[in-house]
Amino acid sequence: MLTRVGQEAVDGLTTVTAAEAAFPAPFAAQLEYAAPARGTWNIVHTGMLLPESHQIFVCAAGCLRGVVLTAAEMGAMDRFSTVAIRENNVLDGDMEELIIDGVTDILQKLPAMPRAVLIYTSCIHHFMACDLPRVYGVLRARFPGVAFADCYMNPILRKSGLTPDQLMRRQLYSLLEARPIDPASVNILGSDLPTDPDADFVRLIRESGHTLRDIAACRSYDEYQAMAGSFLNVTTYPSARAGGETLSERLGQKHLYLPNAYDFDEIEQGLRTLAGELGAVYPGSGSRRSAADEALKRARSAVGGREVAIDYTAVSRPLQLAKLLTEYGFSVTDVFVDAIPAEDKPSLEWLKENLPALRLHPTVHPAMRVRARQTEKPALAIGQKAAYFTGTDRFVNIVEDGGLHGFGGIRKLAALLEEAAAVPKDTRRLIQIKGLGCSGGCCG
Amino acid sequence: MIQFAVYGKGGIGKSTTASNISAALAEAGLTVMQIGCDPKADSTAALLGGRRLDTVIDLIRDRGRAIPLEDMAVRGYKGVICVETGGPTPGLGCAGRAITAALETLKDKNAWEVFAPDVVIYDVLGDVVCGGFSVPMRTGYAGKVFILTSGENMAIHAGANIALAVRNFQDRGYASLGGIILNRRNVKNEDEKVAELASDIGAKLVGSLSRSDTVPDAEELGKTVIEAFPDSEMARQYRTLARAVLAECGGEVTMPEC
Repeated sequence: MLTRVGQEAVDGLTTVTAAEAAFPAPFAAQLEYAAPARGTWNIVHTGMLLPESHQIFVCAAGCLRGVVLTAAEMGAMDRFSTVAIRENNVLDGDMEELIIDGVTDILQKLPAMPRAVLIYTSCIHHFMACDLPRVYGVLRARFPGVAFADCYMNPILRKSGLTPDQLMRRQLYSLLEARPIDPASVNILGSDLPTDPDADFVRLIRESGHTLRDIAACRSYDEYQAMAGSFLNVTTYPSARAGGETLSERLGQKHLYLPNAYDFDEIEQGLRTLAGELGAVYPGSGSRRSAADEALKRARSAVGGREVAIDYTAVSRPLQLAKLLTEYGFSVTDVFVDAIPAEDKPSLEWLKENLPALRLHPTVHPAMRVRARQTEKPALAIGQKAAYFTGTDRFVNIVEDGGLHGFGGIRKLAALLEEAAAVPKDTRRLIQIKGLGCSGGCCG
Repeated sequence: MIQFAVYGKGGIGKSTTASNISAALAEAGLTVMQIGCDPKADSTAALLGGRRLDTVIDLIRDRGRAIPLEDMAVRGYKGVICVETGGPTPGLGCAGRAITAALETLKDKNAWEVFAPDVVIYDVLGDVVCGGFSVPMRTGYAGKVFILTSGENMAIHAGANIALAVRNFQDRGYASLGGIILNRRNVKNEDEKVAELASDIGAKLVGSLSRSDTVPDAEELGKTVIEAFPDSEMARQYRTLARAVLAECGGEVTMPEC
């Protein structure tokens, strides 16, 4: 049997135990590798959530490849255009005119004028100090019926200030125009996937007589604009927080960050807080809590002693989920996470005490490219990256918590675990498709 | 709040002039912020007893953008708020990008709202060689640009280029030309040459400064002329200039003696 050379060294570079793991960065930053698990959303997918909008990317041709492929895979090329920057634009100093003229040309040639245009500028505009407010000023004057949003494909900002993901989730709502606040209306903000109607907080909002608005459910630009009237924005995904805070300042909406939790008491506490904001009486979790408890026990029985691996693209709090599953007797052995989210810090502390041998792995370390992608016995993975790195065909195929939340979310996740343990999946095929759950119907 | 920028050929005396204007205005009771936009980072030295500031770019480089605002600015003579954008190692990096990054960082930290200055003076390196050097004259920053020049040909040439850049940006709503400041080097036909420049670019001569040993003497002490030799003829000239520049920007100030 052939053995990969140097696996021991590779393991050393790509593994720390929970006991050893530093917070928040258990692995040193360096050259990065991208695993071919592509179900996570990117700035094209997220931007496409805005109904009746058109995207225009302005960058060097070489940088366009990925976003063009995304749009094509989504079947959304009719909502997507590009303007290529060449060296002469840099030398002639007409970078700003190129955006203005390029966008004008594209809009004039579209069969119908979009309600909104998302313009993605790139790092070269940043380096050259292009006067983007002026560019948008000219475009707004030229096309008064179109709302222009400044968006960014700027990889040099990945690790300073707001990340491209945070920026995108903020800018997506930058076109909301102030309107009278409606105390009976609440938004879910910054979630790519529609939140499951069975999520506890969704039920609480609806059952207390509030209208729930979510861009993932908007079918028109007017529906999107109605979000400006909601009195409360609920964000559940860490990258969405900046957007919620910005809208509080700009539109005077309240903002409640209700991070998805895999801890019964924290879920309960979050729901109580939300009920307070809604002016509702929290009915208590009662049967829903016990249903989640029973579902986890059933899943544990179905999964048996199979090793469980979790990755951060599947769930926003992989360490809290590791803790929960460990408490229910699952054999959680590996977590794939490049940086530990602040929300997961208490869970890391718990794991250091209670599961110190839990292995943490990066997903972007270059050595992950050559790490053995198999385990002694097929693992049960939660997330595409965990599935890829463990080489298993038994996995829960979700990204960004799968739209699941609270006790209802845990119950459904437990059911997905049962299903994954019982039914093999075509991992190679499934993980190659970009943007799991995106509206273009590109994903399985 | 009045904001203006001083541009001109390297070595023409922009920092000395800007610092003395700052000192004169601060002495008259105004809250002044001076932002040096030059990788040399010595714009505000005379306001700080010759001390060099940690530049915004150095702070960003060392600590990222989460630097508190108070670390980016230091109070100098008569409370002048001193900031140096800084820049890369000479010959490496991008000085224009450094100015942009530093000003963006100050904006992100709401420096203008927090310090609430009456007057902001941008002391900008040499020529408008790239987009970064035009940032101080963009909307939200300086409203007027003053060109500092002597009668030397290279200084006049640089002044003409700066005026051209200002004119090119007129339709964008950027800063307009405030005028020319003559910093005498006592070259032949100096007044005539600078008057010709003013005529060519359609600018007004807002003030002139004599060549005097008082200026380097003050610099030796690490001070502005206003601080080191407050009763000197040069101090009087700087006060007169400060009042004239402010008047061009629509402001008014009472000076102790002009």
